[in-house]
Amino acid sequence: MTGTQPNLQKKICMLGSFGVGKTSLVRRFVESVFSETYLTTVGVKIDKKIVALGDRTMTLILWDVAGEDDISPLKMSYVRGAAGYVLVADGTRQPTLDVALSIRQRIEAEYGALPFVLLLNKSDLREQWQIAPQTLEELPSKGCTARLSSARTGEGVEQAFRDLALAISR
Amino acid sequence: MRDLPQPIADALEEAVFGERAVAYLQIDDANLAVIGAGGDLANYGLELAHPGQPVLEHAFFLEGLLPLAETPYVMPAVEVARGRSADLHFYRDDNCLWLVLLDVTAERDQSRRMQQKAYEMTLLEEKQAQLNRRLEATNAELRATQRDLLSSREALQLAHDRIQTELSDAAKYVRSLLPPPQTEPFAIDWRFTTCSELGGDAFGYHWIDRKHFALYLLDVCGHGVSPCLMSVGILHVLQSASLRDVDFRDPERVLAALNASYQMINLEDLFFTLWYGVYCPDTRRLDYSSAGHPPALLLDRGGARMQRLGSGSPPIGCMPNARYVGQHVEVPPRSKLYLFSDGAFEIQLPSGAMLNYEEFLECVRRAAMAHDHSDVDHLCDELMGLRACAAVEDDVSIVRFAF
Repeated sequence: MTGTQPNLQKKICMLGSFGVGKTSLVRRFVESVFSETYLTTVGVKIDKKIVALGDRTMTLILWDVAGEDDISPLKMSYVRGAAGYVLVADGTRQPTLDVALSIRQRIEAEYGALPFVLLLNKSDLREQWQIAPQTLEELPSKGCTARLSSARTGEGVEQAFRDLALAISR
Repeated sequence: MRDLPQPIADALEEAVFGERAVAYLQIDDANLAVIGAGGDLANYGLELAHPGQPVLEHAFFLEGLLPLAETPYVMPAVEVARGRSADLHFYRDDNCLWLVLLDVTAERDQSRRMQQKAYEMTLLEEKQAQLNRRLEATNAELRATQRDLLSSREALQLAHDRIQTELSDAAKYVRSLLPPPQTEPFAIDWRFTTCSELGGDAFGYHWIDRKHFALYLLDVCGHGVSPCLMSVGILHVLQSASLRDVDFRDPERVLAALNASYQMINLEDLFFTLWYGVYCPDTRRLDYSSAGHPPALLLDRGGARMQRLGSGSPPIGCMPNARYVGQHVEVPPRSKLYLFSDGAFEIQLPSGAMLNYEEFLECVRRAAMAHDHSDVDHLCDELMGLRACAAVEDDVSIVRFAF
């Protein structure tokens, strides 16, 4: 016997508008790779990754859910059973932040408050950045804070999943 | 099966199984255990799910879903393993939960191709819209900058016009200080042309007493208001004879006194050239001295003899201890004396070369001999005709005395 606690397994959903980089973030987190080729997700793709949390481990079952667009809203059935979720917005496309915040509202209405992290992805594309600092300053009043991430460089990716896992484990 | 003939029912069953790779799990969702399994389980990576085993070990995609209260329940297009996508159908009977998996990989791929095109188009349109907004913003900035530039240009033009007006007024003022041409007791004529930036030329002549007549021409270095003001000040000194303890009949003393009063180190580096003479009609003697100024020209009646009346002394204001030499000459009857500023002969020709000084002297000689009274006009016209550009770069002063 070691001192390690039994493995926990939790479902995490990747949610956001289409083309914000959800699949790329999962690939960066699970496989430590990044591809410039954009490949849209249909339905949901499932991966898993084990993270160490002190003397415990947690297996994250990552549901990479197809992005929301004007025609196809998020299928809330995919979120059923999730212990937490990652909201992803594209920092170079302002409307994707609005979509992310809207998804959060719908989830809370359907499943109640769940742990989540909000990522402003593509932080490496600063010259195309569209989200004003003032918008970020106003987020805490809406009950969330945003953190920057880049699936291309890996900035903020590992830490975001780890922090979410910790929030779920509490 | 809905009263279908057996062959048709068999064919449909075969089609469903063939295309959909039907598989199922029978689950005790209260204990999260597999009760039974069947169908094409390998298609979904579930071939090792056997009765009695923990269901989440094999079907980890069910994490969080069990126990499932709401049935029937469908979760569409879930990519479960090996790139295969399935619709997950959940049903419940009295004892257990049934999960039926129907393969939709082909439909998913078809949808992906269409969706890919649509999203790429949408992203391109968004990018184009962003670029358009940036272009519009940049255009707006450019227009604003252009407006600012136009305003600045208008302000500059107004300032320039005002300065030109003031320079023109200053030139008029200098001209108003010059003595008028005269005919008695000897004829004096002159032409004074200022450059656009205003130079530092000035001249004058007046009776010092009943026997002595002063004549002078000065040129302050540089262009603009400062040289102009300085030339006016010196003109006033000479006209009013306001140098203490100086006999204005003595050119050498006058120049020395001016040099003592107007050192360039005290005057923003301004200095000036001066030709100063005193003519006594009774004796026909002309005393003169020059401080770096072009020599005056004295021509006898026929123009055969031309004397250059100058000296090698430096301009006034350059050297505190400069010496100025007084000289004199006898003026023959009906001779002409010409005073110039350097603007009169520093002329750029159309070829780009400068006018040769000897050629200038010939111009003076020709004008003096051919035209008794209108020599100054003819000389000015000829010199102006030689210029490559109509505008003069420096003040031009020509004064002629016919003794």
